[in-house]
Formats: sequence, structure tokens, C-alpha cells
Amino acid sequence: MTDIKTYLREWAMPHVLCPGCAHGIVLRSFLEAVDQLQLEQDKVAMVAGIGCSSRLAGYADFCTLHGTHGRAPAFATGLKLARPELDVVVVTGDGDGLAIGGNHLIHAARRNIDITVMLLNNSIYGMTGGQAAPTTPQGAVASTTPSGNTEASFDACALLQGAGASFVARVLAANPIEMTKVMADAITHPGFSFIEVVSDCPEYFGRYNKAGGGAEMLVSLTSRDVAVAGPLAAKRFVNHVPSSEPPPGMDTGVLQREVRPIFSGIRGGDTDES
Amino acid sequence: MSRSEIRIAGAGGQGVVTAGRILAEAAILSGKTATHSQVYGPQSRGGASRSDVVIDTAEIGFPLAYNLDLLIILSDEAYTKYRPELDDDTRMIVDRDCAPDSTPGSATIFPVVATARSVSGGVLATGVVALGVLQQVADFIDADTLRQAVGARVPAKFKAMNLDALEAGMGLVGATT
Amino acid sequence: MAEAQLVQGNEACALGAVAAGCNFYGGYPITPSSGIAEQMVRFLPGADGVFVQMEDEIASLAAVIGASLAGSKAMTATSGPGFSLMQEHIGYAVMAEVPCVIVNVMRGGPSTGMPTSPSQGDMMQARWGTHGDHSAIVLAPSSVGEVYELTVRAFNLAERFRTPVIVVYDEIVGHTRESVVLPDALEITDRVRAEGDPEEFRPKAITPNGVPPQAAFGDGYRFHVTGLAHDERGFPTEDSQVAGALLTRLHSKVDDHEDEIVDVETFMIDDADLAIFAYGIVGRSAREAVMEARASGIKAGLIRPRTVWPFPAEHIARAAEQVDTIIVAEMNLGQMIGEVERAAQGQAEIVGHLRADGEPMTPAHLLALITNVEADRKQP
Repeated sequence: MTDIKTYLREWAMPHVLCPGCAHGIVLRSFLEAVDQLQLEQDKVAMVAGIGCSSRLAGYADFCTLHGTHGRAPAFATGLKLARPELDVVVVTGDGDGLAIGGNHLIHAARRNIDITVMLLNNSIYGMTGGQAAPTTPQGAVASTTPSGNTEASFDACALLQGAGASFVARVLAANPIEMTKVMADAITHPGFSFIEVVSDCPEYFGRYNKAGGGAEMLVSLTSRDVAVAGPLAAKRFVNHVPSSEPPPGMDTGVLQREVRPIFSGIRGGDTDES
Repeated sequence: MSRSEIRIAGAGGQGVVTAGRILAEAAILSGKTATHSQVYGPQSRGGASRSDVVIDTAEIGFPLAYNLDLLIILSDEAYTKYRPELDDDTRMIVDRDCAPDSTPGSATIFPVVATARSVSGGVLATGVVALGVLQQVADFIDADTLRQAVGARVPAKFKAMNLDALEAGMGLVGATT
Repeated sequence: MAEAQLVQGNEACALGAVAAGCNFYGGYPITPSSGIAEQMVRFLPGADGVFVQMEDEIASLAAVIGASLAGSKAMTATSGPGFSLMQEHIGYAVMAEVPCVIVNVMRGGPSTGMPTSPSQGDMMQARWGTHGDHSAIVLAPSSVGEVYELTVRAFNLAERFRTPVIVVYDEIVGHTRESVVLPDALEITDRVRAEGDPEEFRPKAITPNGVPPQAAFGDGYRFHVTGLAHDERGFPTEDSQVAGALLTRLHSKVDDHEDEIVDVETFMIDDADLAIFAYGIVGRSAREAVMEARASGIKAGLIRPRTVWPFPAEHIARAAEQVDTIIVAEMNLGQMIGEVERAAQGQAEIVGHLRADGEPMTPAHLLALITNVEADRKQP
């Protein structure tokens, strides 16, 4: 394979991510997927919102758009409609994509525009200092839920399946090889592809919930894995949050795949995708 | 001719907006300037509808009607709503079926809606019948230009019917009603 | 020469956009601007363009920015509440220097306000609505013909200065149909494209005119675009010198070229005793009122800015030296009047005629006002 540094802006380093953050593993898996698919580097557009995950776009040497909080799918929609030949990949987070940007995400899915969305779920707002997100589990501690979160949380994949995403997958940052495969699958899928990448935050979520550092959190992640469609075997779950109840596992792999008409805007003549 | 302001007021479905556009377009065809405005929003659905047309030989400054020269009233609601706003010197054409017993002397009464029904079997051509009346009672526009504007604006399959409605409207003036 | 035709204001906006080369429209329905979208969806497919109805106004301007970064000439249109939602991305387009056009057909506010009534309540929002320091280019047409002309100009200015340009007009201008003759030939400006070695490309390079050449995504240049303060490579920085220089450049690239932007109609001002300052639809009533006042022997004049931002302060200052009184007539409770006062520097008395009740200001209203002001002027 190509030297992975080909796809990195080394001049932009050092990066802003914390020690132990799993997002770097996710970026590497994505770059490997791009390399495996031999995508033309000049024709890859990475569109991000605001948050830790969204900062990945800055370090990837593609056409990169660091937009506003939650709006990446909308920026990506305009970009893709104007330049259908681009491979457009959105990198977003759970707060970015499911709270402030939830509306944009579900509508992009509904339209079935041919973009790929990678939502890095770390169950917390990292960039702003550890506030509760719509994915923070009930009971978990965040800076805005000091006594434990009382709100229910979103299941991102179920939400996107409901919104009509034609490709929905969940992968874990702890399984980089599977991550690369699923990302390549998603990019080549004709239509809207959604991947929830579970990628933990040791700095805030781990520290607040005594879930250990980056390495420990990755290990517990693998034990939560319930592979329904991926190459991995089902394993038992170990929760981040100390609890007497056995926490639920997470279905991983490709959870939904269908082919339906792609949205290419209202335009004249033949569109180059169908 | 200087500035003239015409309001066609009636009910939704009477073709009032289309009639106003036709009048404005006929004015442009005769080398004049024109504006057309209508009511939007909840007011424009169902209930009342109106078209205002301003015609001038020179460039039009303020584009809305604010000192009507001619008001055509085609529904009861339009009568109630617009009659009180009128200056005494505004000419008024009122449909026979919505004219109250005490119609003011300045008003001329014509069976506009009834004529539209007899020509088209419905009320959609009411506005065009009213244009025929207007053409005859006022000198805003000549008949041929108005015919041309009607033909250009309405869908092809309704062209003959609308031209009939226009002639019928013109025929109302001078006839015994 | 083309023939006169009856065109609605919002339709003229769409016609002007397409004539200017617009090939992307993203929008969300809202009264009284929806007519623009309804025309764009008819025009764009035949003009090698794309139309998309987005999920809200925030997304609409985001899609427009995405399309512009891909090389399109892109626009959106909205009204009142939708313009509020767009403020976030107006700031983004300023910061990231993304050419685009935003049309705001003003209706009564605040909030949902009066959806089908005219207003000029968004003048300050058009200038200062998005957070942070920024320059603004805002055009204010007063007729259907001017909507066409100034929509074309908005695209040209956006491309010239690499910045969002806002067009504001009120519900009356948007909904009224008028006879217009659309010009056959137009001057069209296109953004300066990046050239040379992609490795050396600096998307935010400092250039003599303050406007960096632009590359489109997909053209072989790989670069970063962000709303964070950034350096010449477009990469986020916290260096105060770099950030400060960026902000200064974003200002000066517009403010140092006001002469290219500012456009004011003055009418009978040279010997006037009193002037009326009005823009948009009110400018037309004011012009009629001035003519009628002149006919009755009152030396009235008109100052009508077609570009409201940057504010034409020099025009006001000159007029203030000539006249005793400037009447500011606007369909709000006092927005541009503060700018007029500031620009007049005490050289003329400023009288406001301000209302925000959804009713238009007719020539008769303004003539009565001029007459009263003239009487006061003669008997202080």
C-alpha cells in the first residue's frame, strides 16, 4: 500500500487530539480505505462540522471543509450536487451530528444523496470540555450531568435506519481492520452511507466515569461487540459506567443495505449518477 | 393619459388575478407602463381576491394603487370590504348579483357573473367578462389589444372560451340588463 | 432591444440570477420570497444548474456555500425568520471568503410578524446580523427592473470581493408585477481562479487588492476551508498577529473599495432646501413626493441609496451641507436614520418618518410630511 503519510498534512501537525483519544485510529482506517479503493486524492472531499472528530478533516490531505456546528451534511449536499464526481465524506461527532445537526443528518439520509457520513461517537462533548451529549448513557457523568445523566440517549444507527439511510453500519475504533473494510464498503455504496464509529474519549468520558485510559477503554469496547454482520464474533459487553446490571452489547457490522434512487438535485438532462 | 388605477375585486376562483395581469399586459402591448399587484397569504385562499392595476404613459413611481379611478366589484364580500374606502370620484362597476338595494348612483351595474356562467358554465371567466365591460366603459385599452392580451395569457384550450367571455362582457355595455 | 414585459419582482430576481451565471440554488420555502425558488426550479435545469430544496434556511445557505466552494455561482433567498437562521452561515461565508448571494425579501417582524406585509426591518440585521466583526455589502432595489439589475450586480460583487452579498427588498417589490425591459447585454464578473503549482497554492494568500485567487474543490488543488481564524494556508491558527491580519484584510478588501460598490441615486438635490432619504419601495414614493413638492414650490430633493452597506456616508455629508433638513423615511422604527445622523455630523436637522405597521408609505404620506417640514423650516 501507499505510505499513509501521502494522505496526511504533516505540516499541520501536531494535532489537537488528546493522548489516548481513539480518533487517530479512525482517521488511519479511513485513509487506508481511501488507499485500498485507489480514490483520486484531488477528488476526495472531506466535510466536517465542529468538535473533536471534525478536526480530523484538517489533517487529511484532501479537499477539506471545516464547516459549522452540525451542518456538515448540508455543506456536503451542496458540494456533491455541484460536483457529483467528488467522493464526499462527512466526518462528524455525536453532538455535532445528532444534537445540533440531527435535522441535517436525517434529511441527507432521506434524500439518499451519494455521500458517506462517519459519525464518531464518544458519548460526550469533548471539544467543549465534557458536557452531556444525546448519546451519553443514562446514569453517566458529564460536566453538565454531575449526578448522572437522566435523559435517554439516541441509538444513532436505529435513527438513521428510520430516516431511510440506504447503508447503515456500526464499527468500533478498537477494530481497525473491520473499520477500514466497512468504510471502503460505505464509500462505494451507491447512495447515502452512514457509519457510526464508536471511538471513546478517555480525557472526559473515561475520567468522569472511571472507565480507564485510552487503552482500557479500547479493550472494553471490544468486549461490547456484538457482531451481527461483521467478521467478528459476538462478545459480551462491559459498560463504561459502573453498574450492577449487565449493559447491552452493540450490534456491529453492516446493519442495513439497500439500493434505491440516488438524489442528484433537480437538474437538466442526464445526471451522471443513477 | 396620466396615471390610472383600476381594482378588480371579487372572490377566489373568479379569475380576478388573471384578469388583472391581462389588463396590465394589454397596457404594455399598447406601449404604456403598468403594474399589477394582488393579495397574498391567507386572504388569498378561498374568500376574497383582488387585482390592482396601475397604467401610465410615463414611468410609474409608487407601484401600488392608492387613489382608484375605477373599481370593479364582483362579490358581496368585495363590496363590503372596498366600497367604504372609495373616493366619491371613483367610478364603480358592480356585478348585478352582489349589488345591494341602495347601490350608489355612481355605480354601473352589469350581470358579469351571470354572463360568465352562461359563456363558460362556471365563474372562472368572470374576470375576463369584467375586462370586456371595462374596455367599453373606460378608455384604458382598445379592444383588439385586449383580445391579443387575453389570447397570450390564458391556456390554449381555454382561449376560445375566454375570447367569447371578453366579447360577451363588451356586449353587456349598452345592452338592456 | 428586448420588449417590455410584465414581470414580478421575485421572478426578476431569478431571471437576474440566471443571467449573472447562477447555477446553484438552495432554499427553503418562506413567504414572501418563495416565488424566487419557484422560478429558479424552472430556470436552472435548462441553464446547466441545480436546484435543491433544503430542510431549513441554515442548511440552505450551507448547501450554497458547499456549491460555491465547488465552483458554482450559488444563491439562496429567504424572508424574516429564515434570514435570522441564515446569519450563522453569512458569517461563515465572510470568514471563509465564499462568494454567494443571499436575497432577503423583507416582511414584518420581529419573529413571525406579518408574513405578507412589507417591511424594512432587517437593515441592521443585514449589516450586523452575524456575530463578530465583518464588512457587509447590501443592495436595496426599489423596483422590479432594479431587482434584476441589482441581483446581477450582487453576483458580480460577490465574485469580485469573494464575499457574501445580500440583496434586500420588501414584500411589495417582491410581489408586484411591473412592465420592464430586461437588458440584452450584461457585464459579468467571475472570481479570479487560482493558477500554478497546487503544492504552492495558498487559499488565503495576501494579494494587492486583498482578494486571494480561488480554487474550486475538484480542480486539482487540495486545501482546507474553515470558519476558524486561519493563516494563508487556510489552516486554523491562534496566533493573534495572523488572526488580526486576517480580520483586517477581510474588512479592508471591501471598505477600501467602497468607490466600486457604493451606488446612490440623488434627485433634485443640488439646490434643495430639504432632502428625503429613502431606499427600496419607499424611495419610489419619496421620488413622487419630491416631484409634487417641487410642483408646489418646495425645493425638495431625494437621496436614494441602492447600496445601503457600505453606508454612503460621503453622499449624506455632501447633502447635509446643502440642505437644512433631511427626512429619513423607512418602514421600521429607526434603523438607517442613525447612520444618516452620524454621517450628517450635525450639518442638517434629521427628521424621522418611521413606521412598522405593515402599511406602505404612499407618495401622499410623504408629500404631507415634506409640506409640514417645510412649514417648520420657514417658521422655526
